[in-house]
Amino acid sequence: MSIHNDADVCLILEGTYPYVSGGVSSWAHQLISSQGHLSFHLLSIMPDDADLDLKYSLPSNVSGVTTIRLGKLPTGRRSASPHRKQVHARLHEALNVLTSNQPLHINHLRQLLESLEYAGDGVGGHILLDCEEAWEHLIELYEDSYAEHSFLDFFWSYRAIVGGIFSILNTNIPRAGIYHAMSTGYAGLMAARAKVQYDRPVFITEHGIYTNERRIEVTSADWLEETSSKALTVDETRRDLRDLWIDAINNFSRVAYQASDRIITLFAGNQIAQLEDGADPTRMQIIPNGVNINHFGNLGRNPQDKPTIGLIGRVVPIKDIKTFLRAMSLLSQQMPDFTAYVIGPREEDPHYDAECERMTEMLGLQDKVIFTGRVDVEDYLPMIDVLVLTSISEAQPLVMLEAGACGIPMVATDVGSCREIIEGTELEEDKALGHCGHVIPLASPQAASEGIMDILSDKERYEAFSVAAKARVERFYNQTLLNEAYQSLYKTYLS
Amino acid sequence: MAGIGFELNKLAKRDDILGTLGAYMHSAMAIAGPWLFTVVALAAISILHGGTGDDLDILNFRGIIIYNFSFSLVLAAPIFMVMTRYLADAIHMENVTKAPSVMLESLLLVYLLQLPVAIFFYAIYFELSLELRLAAFANMFLISSVWLLGVFLTALKDYNAISKTFFCGMVLAVVASWLMQGSGAVGMVMGFNIGLAVIVFVLIARIMAEYPYKLTNEFALKPYFRKYRELALGGLFYNAAIWADKWVMWFAPESITLPSKMIFYQDYDSAMFLAFLTIIPSLALFVFSIETRFFRHYRRFYEQILAHAPLQRLKQYQTDITESIFAGGRNLIFLQGAICFVVILLAPRIFDFLNLFFLQLGMFRLGTLGALFHVLLIFECIILSYFDCRRATMNIYLFFLVTNAIFTYLSMDAGFAYYGYGYFLSSAVSFIVAGFVVVSHVRKLPFHSFITNNTSIRPRVKVVEV
Repeated sequence: MSIHNDADVCLILEGTYPYVSGGVSSWAHQLISSQGHLSFHLLSIMPDDADLDLKYSLPSNVSGVTTIRLGKLPTGRRSASPHRKQVHARLHEALNVLTSNQPLHINHLRQLLESLEYAGDGVGGHILLDCEEAWEHLIELYEDSYAEHSFLDFFWSYRAIVGGIFSILNTNIPRAGIYHAMSTGYAGLMAARAKVQYDRPVFITEHGIYTNERRIEVTSADWLEETSSKALTVDETRRDLRDLWIDAINNFSRVAYQASDRIITLFAGNQIAQLEDGADPTRMQIIPNGVNINHFGNLGRNPQDKPTIGLIGRVVPIKDIKTFLRAMSLLSQQMPDFTAYVIGPREEDPHYDAECERMTEMLGLQDKVIFTGRVDVEDYLPMIDVLVLTSISEAQPLVMLEAGACGIPMVATDVGSCREIIEGTELEEDKALGHCGHVIPLASPQAASEGIMDILSDKERYEAFSVAAKARVERFYNQTLLNEAYQSLYKTYLS
Repeated sequence: MAGIGFELNKLAKRDDILGTLGAYMHSAMAIAGPWLFTVVALAAISILHGGTGDDLDILNFRGIIIYNFSFSLVLAAPIFMVMTRYLADAIHMENVTKAPSVMLESLLLVYLLQLPVAIFFYAIYFELSLELRLAAFANMFLISSVWLLGVFLTALKDYNAISKTFFCGMVLAVVASWLMQGSGAVGMVMGFNIGLAVIVFVLIARIMAEYPYKLTNEFALKPYFRKYRELALGGLFYNAAIWADKWVMWFAPESITLPSKMIFYQDYDSAMFLAFLTIIPSLALFVFSIETRFFRHYRRFYEQILAHAPLQRLKQYQTDITESIFAGGRNLIFLQGAICFVVILLAPRIFDFLNLFFLQLGMFRLGTLGALFHVLLIFECIILSYFDCRRATMNIYLFFLVTNAIFTYLSMDAGFAYYGYGYFLSSAVSFIVAGFVVVSHVRKLPFHSFITNNTSIRPRVKVVEV
């Protein structure tokens, strides 16, 4: 006897669609639109104080949206002490594993869910986080492993992590044929929970690798106090608050991979990290991003009188706009006249944006470099002769695929799958198509300007790159391939 | 690359774990101040006019003053508790632009609350001449204005203004009322009103000068009443508690009912007011020494939390806090105990010297004992207020109110020899109960600081999207 599903596919999204606009969001939107024969329910995990304006108009096959505020738990009922003691006794082991460098197993997740069931109706923040038993557990962990560290930072970190976990586990989720998470992290944890609870197929599609990104953030976070200088002992087991975060994040990935039937990513480079975090190779798969070939192919070319260079991306440090500006400065010594566009929103990091503006002036590039702000990229693609990306971190930039579909040669840093897009993957057929630009090291304005110069100065080379770009995108990054791949996956697992 | 990037950088600098650290003006002044003012004023009047129980004018005058002091204080208390909390927050956030508006709001609220009572007393129930009714009516509103403005400026720590103005105003009020004896009760009340009016106008002018902001018409206090209703109720209960025994005793067989239908029991009231004056040295000791020492340790505990101290160190500071509380309590007990002892022994001499009615002696002694425990109770509740234990203090005040009323009633039943035991036993028991609450709270201080009384239990996270 089948129980009625709320939707065919439940998409699990963290910090993205439909409340944030960006690459992954657009991808998700496109996925839903392309699978019009299936109904989707959106399970969107957002920070607890984020504003919830819809940034996309939802396609008609979205049957519902559930929004979870991370860390926000209803207070719930107050229960008697013996009951609370029992609840926490059951939560104890699983929580300990989660917040340590022991690997989390999906059975621990089951334990947590059962404890929540045992806690009964109306369980909420009071029983889970605010009661004395919860406090005792927090103190125990602190005194065990973090006794020399800032208690304040530990308190908030622990509370954020555990509160986040409970807000994922302690909420009602829809019933669906397939659960498809767009990242690991809390979304992955939610997918694993769905597996435990409903035993349905689970997919994960990773664009960037969540654990890597968060590791970088946590390691460079200045809101976690520095402790390495304070302890004088050389102690292997000495743990730092960063470890608390990193271990929890690692464990989320671990349990998500355990629960997944298919572990998908965009390019081979990512798979190394997935394997390290415990993904089963037999369940792994690559499905690259795709763009609408016809649409971009038909945008046409609108060459300008001066050579035109474009960097398409938000004005934020991770895009390393400053290296681009330095490259433009070096370029201006070789090439007297050109236009360079920085095409992307400027509101996200006003401080960095101001610094870039100042730098442009200092380098005397005001008449050459133009910051467009938020515009329709398609207006600019026909004008651009070369696409440049100087990012410090990327997955598989849609802008490169779009530019490639227009036949625009590229210069990009060696991050994510940029090299594969420019030079081809290991696949013979791909390599044979040839290069469509230059791969440069990180933070090297010299290499960037040389690469651009090379492309623009040699007409034949330009043509070759242009043809290769178009061919590669058409053959391997075609949106129809993407749609078919997911269509067949969904079909297989829904039956 | 999507995901929730944790921008928890604010946590490290976050100070709203503490709400408004130490800015709570539930210090001695806010709790004891108004009562002290009442007591001094009434005691002064008592002494000046002597114990002559015959002159109707004087009796009416005293009756009006006592009724007005007592009811206006109890009705104004909830308002000024919430008002001081608002002001503490405003100071902490360095935005006092709404201060004059809040003052007006509070005054209006108090007047609104009082109006039915004032109308009942002076338009309906009491039988007085028209002029006296009007004077008494005005008096009630003047007194509550004085409460409010005094507490307002205390919250803003403008001690200078208050003490000078109050002192001069009160002297003027009492002297004027005495001088106007010849014009009967009306004259006396009017004289008193003059002094009060001077205080009110000077204080309002001062507030307007110090806080020259425009008045807004939004009701700034409304959310505060909802959020801090325990404070408001606590204020109501506490001030009702300190009047409860007097109110009950007004129905004792020895009480007087005037032709104007005012009831009071002069001997009991005077004895109790005088007895309460004995706490002044202890209050001074508390404000200038104990509160500062306790506050230092208390503040260090919270500052160390923010300074990323490990738990071990926090526990040490917690111990220091406990010790400072006990040491302070010990000192208070010694001082007040000694005063109490001496006063009880020397009571007959004191009465002789001040020409007081000897029948009050027993009640006075019991009142002195009661005052000992009462001041210790105040001390305990102030400690709890520093830790923002609003519900606990509200409950303690309620307990004090109920026990004071019940015990006084029982002692009244038991006969003249037992008058005064109600207040004494009630404050003793309340002191013990509050003591347990303080100890149990401080014992679990980290838990209460981080969880129970933590006004901000949510970290902030931010979304990053590429």
